[in-house]
Amino acid sequence: MSGDYIDQRHVEGAQLRRMRLVSLFEGTTLVVLVGVAVPLKHLAGYPTATAIMGPIHGVAFLIYVWMVINTVSGGDWTKGEILRLLAAAFIPFGAFMNVRFLRQREEALAVPVGTADETRL
Amino acid sequence: MSYLWIKAFHLAAAMTWIGGMLLLSVVLMALASSGPGADRNMHLIRMARTWDARVTTPAMLIVWVLGLVMALQAGWFSAPWLWVKLVIVVILSAMHGIQSGTLRRLAGDPSRSPPAFLRLAAPAVVAAVVAIAILAITKPL
Repeated sequence: MSGDYIDQRHVEGAQLRRMRLVSLFEGTTLVVLVGVAVPLKHLAGYPTATAIMGPIHGVAFLIYVWMVINTVSGGDWTKGEILRLLAAAFIPFGAFMNVRFLRQREEALAVPVGTADETRL
Repeated sequence: MSYLWIKAFHLAAAMTWIGGMLLLSVVLMALASSGPGADRNMHLIRMARTWDARVTTPAMLIVWVLGLVMALQAGWFSAPWLWVKLVIVVILSAMHGIQSGTLRRLAGDPSRSPPAFLRLAAPAVVAAVVAIAILAITKPL
């Protein structure tokens, strides 16, 4: 069965890339909702914009939170890191800051075997 | 798309999602009872992960989207029963995320064990499904 074992770094790297994509998606929908749809509703009297973007952002938020739960369940994450990932979903542009954090973590996975960082994942 | 078509696909997706969660529950229970580092069936883990990624998780997304569309169309967001149901669905979704993440971890590191509370996942899923069915069909609140 040893041939079936999967490289943990490869699996986690793929998960972090998916997490980054979802983070970007969630962040973009929040910015469009707050920056475009809400002003259109209140300043231009166009409520359809929020009626469309509201549910889209709602689904994006659920996907994001689900991905956070999935990602932290599969790796070694500190409570602070988990809180940071969750808090980013509530702050406009927070998800974009998350992308850098996730990229750093992904890069840490690529550190050669034998260094201290590898023990984190 | 008419309400009945949306409802039909919502139900089909929900059954697929719940079936997938029960599958994950049983696989994780089997892995927990085999002990860490035991001669685990990695092929089974890989198959369960593939099914989860290609079938169960997309089914969950369809459940969310179509459920949201139905609730908006029918104007149910003011009904308490829907909010109780939503809380249960969110808990189920979180449990699915934990199961999926745990399986990914076990796929790469067989020396680990699934968290002990996941042993209760299967009865919890069944209890949640019963509660959801009662709330959605009788709409008691």
